[in-house]
Amino acid sequence: MATSAAVLEDGSLISRLDGQLLRIEQALALVSGLAVFSLMVLAVVSVGGRNAFNAPLPGYVDWIEQAMPLIAFMGISYVQRDGAHIRMDIVVAALKGRALWLFELISVLLILLLMVALVWGSWSHFGRSFDFAAPLWSRDSSIDISLPIWPAKLLVPVAFSVLSLRLMLQVWGYGRALILGLKHPVAVPLIQSAAAQAAAEAEQLSGADNGTANSGTED
Amino acid sequence: TEWNVSVWGKRRAFTEHVERLAELVSEKTNGEFTLNISYGGLSKNKENLDGISIGAFEMAQFCAGYHRDKNPTITVLELPFLGVNTLDEEVAVANAVYAHPAVQADLARWNAKLLMTSPMPQYNIVGTGDPRATLESFKDMRVRATGGIGKAFAAVGAVPTSVTATEAYNAMESGVVDTVAFAQHAHLAFGTINRADWWTANLNPGTVNCPVVVNSDAYDMLSDSEREALDGSVEESIAHYLDNYGALLSKWDDVLTEKGVQKVEISEEQLAEFRTVAADPIREAWISDMSAQGIPAQELYDLVMDTLADTRK
Amino acid sequence: MEPIEIGLWVTGIMLVMVVAGMRVAFAAASAGLIGLVWIFWAKFGYAPDKFTKALTVSVKVAGQVPHSKVSSQALSLIPTFILIGYLAYYAGLTKALFEAAKRWIAWLPGGLAVSTVFATAGFAAVSGASVATSAVFARIAIPEMLAIGYNKQFAAGVVAAAGTLASLIPPSAILVIYAIIVEQDVGKLLLAGFIPGAFSAVVYVTLIVGIAMVFKNVGPPVTGFTWRQRFEALPAALPIIFVVVIIICFVYNPFGDQAWGTPTEGGALGAFVVFCMAIYNGMKWEQLKSALLETAKLTVMIFTIIWGVLIYVRFLGFADLPGAFSDWITSLEMSPMVILICILLAYAVLGMFMDAIGMLLLTLPVVYPAVMALNGGESVAAADSAFGMSGTMCAIWFGILVVKMAEFCLITPPIGLNCFVVAGVRDDLTVQDVFRGVMPFFIADGVTIALLVAFPGIVLYLPSLAG
Ligand code: NA
Ligand code: NA
Repeated sequence: MATSAAVLEDGSLISRLDGQLLRIEQALALVSGLAVFSLMVLAVVSVGGRNAFNAPLPGYVDWIEQAMPLIAFMGISYVQRDGAHIRMDIVVAALKGRALWLFELISVLLILLLMVALVWGSWSHFGRSFDFAAPLWSRDSSIDISLPIWPAKLLVPVAFSVLSLRLMLQVWGYGRALILGLKHPVAVPLIQSAAAQAAAEAEQLSGADNGTANSGTED
Repeated sequence: TEWNVSVWGKRRAFTEHVERLAELVSEKTNGEFTLNISYGGLSKNKENLDGISIGAFEMAQFCAGYHRDKNPTITVLELPFLGVNTLDEEVAVANAVYAHPAVQADLARWNAKLLMTSPMPQYNIVGTGDPRATLESFKDMRVRATGGIGKAFAAVGAVPTSVTATEAYNAMESGVVDTVAFAQHAHLAFGTINRADWWTANLNPGTVNCPVVVNSDAYDMLSDSEREALDGSVEESIAHYLDNYGALLSKWDDVLTEKGVQKVEISEEQLAEFRTVAADPIREAWISDMSAQGIPAQELYDLVMDTLADTRK
Repeated sequence: MEPIEIGLWVTGIMLVMVVAGMRVAFAAASAGLIGLVWIFWAKFGYAPDKFTKALTVSVKVAGQVPHSKVSSQALSLIPTFILIGYLAYYAGLTKALFEAAKRWIAWLPGGLAVSTVFATAGFAAVSGASVATSAVFARIAIPEMLAIGYNKQFAAGVVAAAGTLASLIPPSAILVIYAIIVEQDVGKLLLAGFIPGAFSAVVYVTLIVGIAMVFKNVGPPVTGFTWRQRFEALPAALPIIFVVVIIICFVYNPFGDQAWGTPTEGGALGAFVVFCMAIYNGMKWEQLKSALLETAKLTVMIFTIIWGVLIYVRFLGFADLPGAFSDWITSLEMSPMVILICILLAYAVLGMFMDAIGMLLLTLPVVYPAVMALNGGESVAAADSAFGMSGTMCAIWFGILVVKMAEFCLITPPIGLNCFVVAGVRDDLTVQDVFRGVMPFFIADGVTIALLVAFPGIVLYLPSLAG
């Protein structure tokens, strides 16, 4: 399962909100995962249809292009919650206490600003492809089978809005830590040392190993 | 004044009028008004109209078939078997359609003003393996063909599987498609001719319409002399384009020989049958669809036919 | 200010944000957005009343990029390749592969380490991501090596280094990303990675055997497997070969003229086969759910970097920085080969501080056109070119070189993701241990890269067969 070890929890309001949001985020991430799975099934159907029955799947490319945003965006907030978006932590790893929370706070504030702008920009991108007066409300359609593109474009501002909520929560979390001088604040991803991080990943893998009936033999 | 121009791919016959236009405009205004042409740096080709609408750049080229719903009116020019035979006729019908108020209103939704067309000859297909010379052999063929041409192939049982021009070679190379429909310059520029074993010489199902548009606000903000330089250079740019394309077509047979590509002639009976199956039903479906959206479809189609008749007088 | 100066300033701003610990994807996107606003406002002559307009245009341009760039058939490879890796783990394939390698080749000096490299190379043929590969083998191979008295630093180094093979040997997410950024043939690039990947593996093995022969305590050979035991280990590992064959036939069909389909389809079919095997081996919904969630997490992380960096790249397009850099490089009065080597060295330095995919996305839009120009242009013939190869071949060759550099950066301190992951497997291993153990492999990688530069044929042989 996901590495949520890096985010502490308690009974406080912010932690409860964190938990609520996490449930939504996990559901969205699972949608991403299921979309990858259906991409696989779609390809198998397409290849099978084409090679075995000489019946190619109409609009195969169109469907893939529709599925990609589902895969790429729905889990974005889930990844931010765990602090798993890649970064260079040489500098922040050397910081402690209020200095660290200040850096983190500025960082999430900037990201929040960016995401608010991108919600606006991607919403306007959606808006240009949507027309109440048109058939299927479509003002932009895919090349071969004329699928309306607006649903896929709408996913972007939706996913980015959820991320913005997450960022607001993290602004609150880091801000609180900064003002109160907390050592182990809840609801924000804490920096693990590189080793601890790797240990978490390894643990994840060993957890995965348990239920697998292994076909290799032991000496 | 400095304008950014968004086109795609690389410099080729298809963009020669834009390149010439940039030269002429700069000359006529002594460098006061320049066009910076960007090949793919400013936008994805399917989103050039969005970029114009936003005001991200002032001029752009796009193809109607990439996104039917963005530009329903000009898809009349992509109907299969319209009977346009030469590039001059192509220019004439495009100009007539672009001048129609319904078409201008359609593009005005994108804050775009039609400047000129990019005339192209009939799209013929290249493929690998045994030549496909009969309608029978088109069944279940995965063909990269957009717009009305794609519909025509679908009418005889093929499966249009389209990617944009820049992705066509990869699609053919990796087996996503069996065949690719392009004009001659694009078979050259996008390398599909290098993969091909054969090319249909006389299928002539139709062509694609790719206008060059400008952002209306930017156009209105030009000084009188700049606007005059721009508008006044269109005709010469198109003339240059046609010369250049003519030269390319005259060398086409040599290209085929050099690349070892077989010329496939399709029999008259097969062509007649293709037209019967594809031309009338697709045109009628188009007219009824578009009319339902409040577009004067019949009028646009008649305009094309009348212009064609006039040009041939 | 000239657009190019703005480009340099914004690039500086981005680097500051990255160093200050902002997530790379968002730092790049922010820099791109700031840059766009700057460029458009400059275009309006910095008129105060035009700022809102510049902001609106920029936000809308940036807001297009995520959907526009992500909705691509070619990029659909990435999630599929990641899914394969996770499913293969659940199907028990990794373990079986190591077991077979051990029984067949562990009699060599440094035997278990050699087996690890070959098993990793085999797993690389179904896995598209290096870090995941290292993580999996760290669990399986290190304990066995330590059990027979291997030096622990060395054992850890072997696994960290061998994991990088996953990105050269197809399938490889990072090669696909390169192909997409530079608009080159995905199939040919994947094909081109095969020999250099195998070649890297051989260089690693040579190094290991050499070390084991000099320092007797580093890695004793493991002998005593009967032929019966050897053959018994094969069936469990065979499915991997089946998956490999499927993927190869889809990337480039050796039996006929036409590939069976796209690399994406090959990846998907491979994933499907592995999925069926995992089900057969008793995978339950809970495990499938974990596999899907982990796939989603890694995919989203990668795609966020992709669109974030591409917002920055869109800004670079408006600033025309790639054109300017390319003009500058070609105007240098140095031999093209010297310039190329400088570029590769720059990657080695940059790679110390960055992750592989982010590094490629950031640099390629600028560096790639310059390298192509250096060779004589996209459509140059081999005879007229600086490096003695056509434009297409140069794109492939440079791609493999750059990806090898990017892989190298996964094992170099201070940011070497593979080493971090390996260090976590056993409590008695620190990151410093792994970095120390992986050091000999810097030499191996240096040798490999030098040979790939000196003999481009190693890279270009297979793609040139493909025509
Ligand atoms: Na691989
Ligand atoms: Na590194």
